[in-house]
Amino acid sequence: MKNFKAVGSRLLQLALVLWAVVTILFLMFRLMPGNPMAAYIDPTFTLEQQQQLMAQFGLDKPLWHQYLIYLGNLLQGELGQSFRYREPVGQRIWILLPNTLILTFSSLIVAYVFGILAGAYLAWRRGSWVEQAAIPLVLTTRAMPEFWLGMVMLAIFSFSLGWLPAGGTRAPGNEYSGFLDLYTSRDFLAHLALPAATLAIYSQGLPLLLMRSNMLDVMKEDFVTMARIKGLSTWTVMVRHAARNALLPVMTSFAIAVGYQLQGNVVVESVFSWPGLGRELVNAVAASDYPLAQGAFLMIALVVIFMNLLADLLYAFLDPRISHA
Amino acid sequence: MKSLLRIAFAAFVVTAIALPAWAGDPIRKITVLSRPQAGQQAEFQSVQLIAQEWRKLGLDVEVRAIPWEQMSDEVWYKRDQWDSTAWQMVGRPERSDPDELIFNLFHSSTAKDGYNFAGYLNKDYDATAEAQRGEIDPAKRKALVFKAQEILSKDQPYMMLVHPKSTFAFDKTVWKPESVVNQSGIGIRNTWTFLGVEPAGAKKDLIINSSDNIKAINPLYISGSVDSWITELVWDRLLRVGPDGLPKAWAAESFTWKDGTTVDVKLKSGMKWHDGKPVTPDDVKFSFEAAVGGEAPMYKPFATNIDSITTNGDAITFKLKKPAASFVTSSLAKVNLIPKHIWEPILKDLAAKPETAESYQEQMPIGSGPFKFTSWAKNESVTLAANKDHFAAPKVDRWILRIVPNAEAALGMLRSGEINFMGEFTGDPQVLIDAAKKDGDLEVVSTVDMGFRYIAFNERRAPFNDPAFRRALSEAVDRQLIVKAAYKSFAVGSNSIVSPALEFWHDKSVVDSFKTGQAVAAKTLKDAGYTLEGGKLRYPGDTKETIAAK
Repeated sequence: MKNFKAVGSRLLQLALVLWAVVTILFLMFRLMPGNPMAAYIDPTFTLEQQQQLMAQFGLDKPLWHQYLIYLGNLLQGELGQSFRYREPVGQRIWILLPNTLILTFSSLIVAYVFGILAGAYLAWRRGSWVEQAAIPLVLTTRAMPEFWLGMVMLAIFSFSLGWLPAGGTRAPGNEYSGFLDLYTSRDFLAHLALPAATLAIYSQGLPLLLMRSNMLDVMKEDFVTMARIKGLSTWTVMVRHAARNALLPVMTSFAIAVGYQLQGNVVVESVFSWPGLGRELVNAVAASDYPLAQGAFLMIALVVIFMNLLADLLYAFLDPRISHA
Repeated sequence: MKSLLRIAFAAFVVTAIALPAWAGDPIRKITVLSRPQAGQQAEFQSVQLIAQEWRKLGLDVEVRAIPWEQMSDEVWYKRDQWDSTAWQMVGRPERSDPDELIFNLFHSSTAKDGYNFAGYLNKDYDATAEAQRGEIDPAKRKALVFKAQEILSKDQPYMMLVHPKSTFAFDKTVWKPESVVNQSGIGIRNTWTFLGVEPAGAKKDLIINSSDNIKAINPLYISGSVDSWITELVWDRLLRVGPDGLPKAWAAESFTWKDGTTVDVKLKSGMKWHDGKPVTPDDVKFSFEAAVGGEAPMYKPFATNIDSITTNGDAITFKLKKPAASFVTSSLAKVNLIPKHIWEPILKDLAAKPETAESYQEQMPIGSGPFKFTSWAKNESVTLAANKDHFAAPKVDRWILRIVPNAEAALGMLRSGEINFMGEFTGDPQVLIDAAKKDGDLEVVSTVDMGFRYIAFNERRAPFNDPAFRRALSEAVDRQLIVKAAYKSFAVGSNSIVSPALEFWHDKSVVDSFKTGQAVAAKTLKDAGYTLEGGKLRYPGDTKETIAAK
């Protein structure tokens, strides 16, 4: 019962957060300098055309009226029509979001599995030459700009060695009947490899360092000493006792990283010509395509909010000491 | 304290007397708008160089770098609030006829809310622009187009800077270099190349890049320049602008001016839509009616001059409201031919809705053009297949466009063979040329563009309302400096909106006779009554500054 109440209040909070996000998004793009009409300026652009467009985009109405229409549409699940593409925003996001999610999750899962294992290992081997060599290396990968790392990966694996394709999700001219057909093809996986590896290299530093420092803390705890005194094997002490406890903050950081990555993807999506939401978002903002920019940001905000909720709930489940009451 | 005040007063009186009574106010700080260095390096550098030269004339100049979205908003919608701005005009096949630029950029009727955002008003020019529009005799029209260029050179409503060179590349192990067509004013990336290019070996797919996403594949929507590469291939037009920049019969067997307002067109026989149905004169009539019908607002300006269209067998007669020499280029070579059996029900349905045909994306676009639509992976690629039944059937099997936002990645892909035609390179052209030298398989071709870069002066605001002042600012800048320093020689200097690429219409004398240099500019200013006091330029006569510097 207590739990239900906790979840209920979380959901209420969530609704409030969503409303705030939606309102900020609405105002932000409209208050920014720029004008959606800028894209149409041409020697043959007439006043009549301009007025027709303003009416079609709903920009001829006062701001409060536009806001009410926007909220009303959102409640019905309508994200509006993109100014640039003249197609429903929902349809466009539906095509691009899966590409972004696949790239994000595949790279983060690789980064976190590697980071957690390597972090635990380095904590265990504290003071050894392995640790002394590895830590500066990890810090270097953290400090490398994604853009530069992406270009280096391209130059080596694609342009010099020719092992992997340089961009897109498929070889030019290949056709697939649907998402599943595409995502399970070898063609797609080959195209995913470089961008995902770039993001994974860029992201593994955080879980690795976090895991390592948590492990070092946990290993000083009494219960670990106790376990050692009991004569348990190093492996059991490390994995069953120390690592399990050190893992908790890393899980939270994963949830946050997903949100962070969704926005950060834009650089990698540009370098590897990946048709994702990040690139579209930047285009939409630059072109003052309000509905598309709002929709794309909202989608990312939803994923972030959802991942945070998940982290909260998971935390309570993984660590019974934490309660939401 | 009192003595100090007295000295100050005395000094004031002395200066007031010492100054010539006829000196006007010092000219306020003037601003030039430019896009930022990050995205538009050449433009930004040009503006910096120009500001430097203007400062030497005794002007206080501020360069404001703002993104295009903001800049266009200010220039277009706040027409009396800016001083001068960098601007550009891009080349398009239909601009091979000078009418669009001569009329829309400078005619007084477009000053309020059209493209004459500079606010240039000149009755003599208006009359010349109108006369060339109505003159069908090429030689007479040419004289009028030359006259327009001469008036513009004298008045300098724009300070013309350069015609940049368009630089493209292709893999010559895949495509025979002699089959690549260099369209004047456009470059080698053009419809004629896509139609005529011949495979040198086994590879028969033309794979080309662009950095911009495709917005729509729609014959009734002018959605973007890259989008138009596709519409030009999937849909036919009655005429096409030829590689020499002059209109050429295409879906039309022939076209003839019967008189100043009547054009007779004969449709080629045996043409078919991609769904197998025949192309009829009725389809042609429908296409032009659709363009003016209200569902295709962007095509409307190209067809509003049509009074009536009548068909008789294969013959189609266009009757115009007013004589318009550019009609064959700007309308007959612009409006896409669309199948009536597909679009009639769609347009009927749209008529009752607020949105126009611009929002209607066909799942399977159907045209009659040399390529058929195959597939479109959004933000990634578009694939077209050769229409082997077309009267100008292409020699390639497929035409594949890949969206590659990053210029370095695009160059890498060209070298590794993932693309074999560089349709757009946003980086430094010299990098492309160096890469081609190193690679050996690539051929790079640079062509003088019909587009141009310029500084527009806001003629609504003093001192830019004075032609002498504008002329002096323009004379102050050596165009070769801009060409070399900002464009790294990938451009030619300009003093006319008609590019030298359009040989027939270009008035070479206005470019050759335009002398530049600080001394020339200083003399123009002096002759017009501007004075220099303590290094600051002042208005002539007793003109007061009426605008507060920003």
